[in-house]
Amino acid sequence: MTGFKVPRYAAMLVMAVFTLYFLTPLWWLFIASGKQDGQVTEGHALLPDNFALGTNLSDLFRYNDGVFLRWLANSVGYTVGAALLGTLLAGMCGYALAKYVFRGRELIFNIVLGGVLVPATALALPLFLMFSKAELANTFWSVFLPSLVNPFGVYLGRIYAAASVPDELLEAARIDGSGEVRSFFTISVRLMAPAFVTIFLFHFVAVWNNFMLPLIMLGNERLFPVTLGLYSWNSQVNQHPELRALVLVGAFVSIVPMVIAFLSLQRFWRSGLGAGSIK
Amino acid sequence: MRVRAGSIAVLLAFSLGACSSGSDDSSSTEAGSACAPAGAPVTLTYTTWIPGIEKVVDVWNKANPDIQVKVQTGPNGNGGTYANFFNQLKAGNAPDLGHIEYDALPSFRVQDGLTDLAGCDIVTQSQSKFIDWTWNQVTFGEQGHVYGIPQDAGPMGLFYRKDLFEKNNIPVPTTWEEYAAAAEKVKAAGGYITNFSQSDINQFAGLVWQAGGHWFGNDGTNWTVTMTDEPTKKVADYWQGLIDKKLVSSVPPWTPEWDNAYNSSSAWTWVSAVWGANSILAGAPKTSGKWAVAPMPQWSAGEKVAGNWGGSSTAVFKNSKHPYEAAKFALWLNTSTEALTLLNKEAQLYPATKEGASLPALKEGVEFYGGQKIYDVFAEASTQVKPDFTWGPTMTKTYADASDGFKKAVTGQETLTKALEDAQASTIATLKSQSIPVKE
Amino acid sequence: MKKAILFFVAPFGALFTLFYLIPIGYAIWQSLFTVERTGTFGPATEVFGGLTQYKQVFSDGPFWESIGRVLLFGAVQVPVMLGLALFLALLLDSGLVKGRRFFRLVYFLPYAVPGVVAAIMWGYLYSPNLSPFTEVTSAVDLLSPSLVLWAMANVVTWVYVGYNMLIIYSALLAVPTEIYEAAKIDGAGVFRTAWSIKIPMVMPAIVLTTVFSIIGTLQLLAEPQVFRSFSSAVSSTYTPNLTVLSTASIPNFHLAAAFSVVLALATFVLSFSFLKFTQRKGVQ
Repeated sequence: MTGFKVPRYAAMLVMAVFTLYFLTPLWWLFIASGKQDGQVTEGHALLPDNFALGTNLSDLFRYNDGVFLRWLANSVGYTVGAALLGTLLAGMCGYALAKYVFRGRELIFNIVLGGVLVPATALALPLFLMFSKAELANTFWSVFLPSLVNPFGVYLGRIYAAASVPDELLEAARIDGSGEVRSFFTISVRLMAPAFVTIFLFHFVAVWNNFMLPLIMLGNERLFPVTLGLYSWNSQVNQHPELRALVLVGAFVSIVPMVIAFLSLQRFWRSGLGAGSIK
Repeated sequence: MRVRAGSIAVLLAFSLGACSSGSDDSSSTEAGSACAPAGAPVTLTYTTWIPGIEKVVDVWNKANPDIQVKVQTGPNGNGGTYANFFNQLKAGNAPDLGHIEYDALPSFRVQDGLTDLAGCDIVTQSQSKFIDWTWNQVTFGEQGHVYGIPQDAGPMGLFYRKDLFEKNNIPVPTTWEEYAAAAEKVKAAGGYITNFSQSDINQFAGLVWQAGGHWFGNDGTNWTVTMTDEPTKKVADYWQGLIDKKLVSSVPPWTPEWDNAYNSSSAWTWVSAVWGANSILAGAPKTSGKWAVAPMPQWSAGEKVAGNWGGSSTAVFKNSKHPYEAAKFALWLNTSTEALTLLNKEAQLYPATKEGASLPALKEGVEFYGGQKIYDVFAEASTQVKPDFTWGPTMTKTYADASDGFKKAVTGQETLTKALEDAQASTIATLKSQSIPVKE
Repeated sequence: MKKAILFFVAPFGALFTLFYLIPIGYAIWQSLFTVERTGTFGPATEVFGGLTQYKQVFSDGPFWESIGRVLLFGAVQVPVMLGLALFLALLLDSGLVKGRRFFRLVYFLPYAVPGVVAAIMWGYLYSPNLSPFTEVTSAVDLLSPSLVLWAMANVVTWVYVGYNMLIIYSALLAVPTEIYEAAKIDGAGVFRTAWSIKIPMVMPAIVLTTVFSIIGTLQLLAEPQVFRSFSSAVSSTYTPNLTVLSTASIPNFHLAAAFSVVLALATFVLSFSFLKFTQRKGVQ
């Protein structure tokens, strides 16, 4: 084995094969969402044939007073809001667990870690009953508030704070008279930036994909996130088959914001994703 | 430390409040008694999954400033809305009105979720407007109880490819025997007579309904589960025969692939409900003009019995504070010509009223079906549905169990009869786990 | 100092208590109840039933079959997926590949697709008459009872390989380059460098991704739920989470609560023992 050279073209070939594997389904979805009247079996499956993406898009955006756009906006609201705030809260908690010694620290940490393991199905129903009692079920908050909690973020925050924020720096700040909270926001946040980006990304995707909680919490279609909206259309396809075309084009459109987010945040997640594994 | 203790106290207070939810619901209306107008403007909430319902409700709201209806739409019943209703009933915040299919009404009654509208004169006086069997579906055949207003019906007929039957000289079957004979000929011509619904048990239930089977009964003290009674066995054996001879295809229903079986002319008939007309139209556009509708095949020549597949009601939930207004709206929604016309136009609902069959839209020829006045066939079928079929109180589970078995049957791993036996056993177990009395 | 700690911990702690601990407590509480009623339509009264629901859970054959099914799924899919992720990460890091930024992005892209949407998409691709790959799907029925589990494994793999690859790759980037220089001088080839230097260095990342994959596997929900409409082989109790859902929609809240408590415990035991196992092996 020693000194054996892998030819460059073999490596590139492997990479190319996997590129096909990852991209073909997405390409198919793009083509299928352009088919006239949702007739996916008509014409060529992987080439724009019978292509009416424009019509399908305008059908999608106009259907039921533009409810789909509303769903997209809701998804962005739930996701960006919850991920930003949730990241900050989890990061702060993780930071405290890493940098301060206090009674019950390990207990808190272990309980929070246990939270990672709880199935979503176990939480959603009791949460609904609690929110109903508070007369907050079927509101924006009933999905937004529970989405703020991200136990895994605390884990990442703690590990990364321990690794990247030197105690000496904090001690120096203390001597300079800086308060703990101020030190956190002026010094530690900057040092922990890659961790924050990672937590944010994990959180963002988790909320974006969340399906169980809105399904149980929301009765009002105008509050739905886009995944639930598509699911709801899909469930009516048996009696209203004309919705199928909308489901396909809607599925395609729902991916687009995520792709844009990924592209524009590239610089950050590239460096940040390794954070969780740094010991 | 003081601060922390304080905040914990707040949390505890909240959590205690939260945990005690769901048990008490003092605002519930006494069944069948109070049904008086509020005497003041009210706002009702209504949850359904009918596409375009907003337009229908707008018409009502414009004409009734004192009874405003706020409508919410979500996934279809078993797709999540029923689960939401159950959760909301438990939490005491269900809407005033909800869309419930006939087969789900018993589940809601068992959960004590429905207002008995028998106390509303306007409701009892409307009985004669509805086709008898639909009224039985909402009263469970009991006198002095009404648990919902019938909305739509799913009388069944035979959709068939007129062009292919004529081209291959196959007579249109009028009995199930002829249907099986036709199946052989269709197979010889390179097609399948139909696609056997492996996972939507409702179609099979409709066939059993026609054959005179009864899956559930209740005598007031006990439920009985008889999913293997003689008529059911007859239907199961019949279809098992077609499956064994590979005369039917078994694509999962409601998938694009299922549409494709019709669109590509591989499946030639469909024994389906009136709303199926729209399913074929939307799913198989290439076959436009080539279909026709005939009455359902019969078990004995000369009989005139139809099955029913689907259909739903508008029910008033237990915690509604305005049963009178809710009933008034539900009656308008499901009996007035303007509402029925709109519901039919927007969502192809087929009315449950006697007069509904003569809506102008239901008297016209349909281009997709070669100009045939197909709704005449269903109007007749609607009067031929047997009135005494009752659903059980845990149908979602029963359907799931039966369809798990049916799926095995179509892949040759077991038989339909075995699937029904298993479904019966697990239904009984489900009833017991819910402490619902059941006689074995 | 105490105030500061409280400032950092309390907001998260409060939300965590409200939206995790209390609901879990409530679920456990609910699982201890059972209902009683009289007559065919008699209203239900909740009575304390102790462990009645748990007896039912433990005698529920399909539930334990579904646990076995997801364990089998995990035992095959998780190593395959992480093996691929590691392989691709090493390849990216080997210096043999041009256009690393491009590949990294493309491989990560499926992670942007919500589980429900990914499952719908692959469902179409698997269906014999709809698939653009008719040659494959007409020869092998990917939706048949024997294959559908692995068809779903492919969906999960498709979504998560790139994501796991990135985690491992980022860990590789963090390895100081001096170590490689030393290896090069020693004359170590690509494979040996990978095997004896890189893989041990990124073991913590691999452990982390494994734990997450185990958790994800036991909670499989979106894929099988969507596949129920594509394949006749996926039953209403195919995975533990589907069982919870279908029980809750009966509605039998108490039994559903008991199912989810047992499922959470199983998840906990499994990922905890994996962590202990790797710790004993001295990986972390």
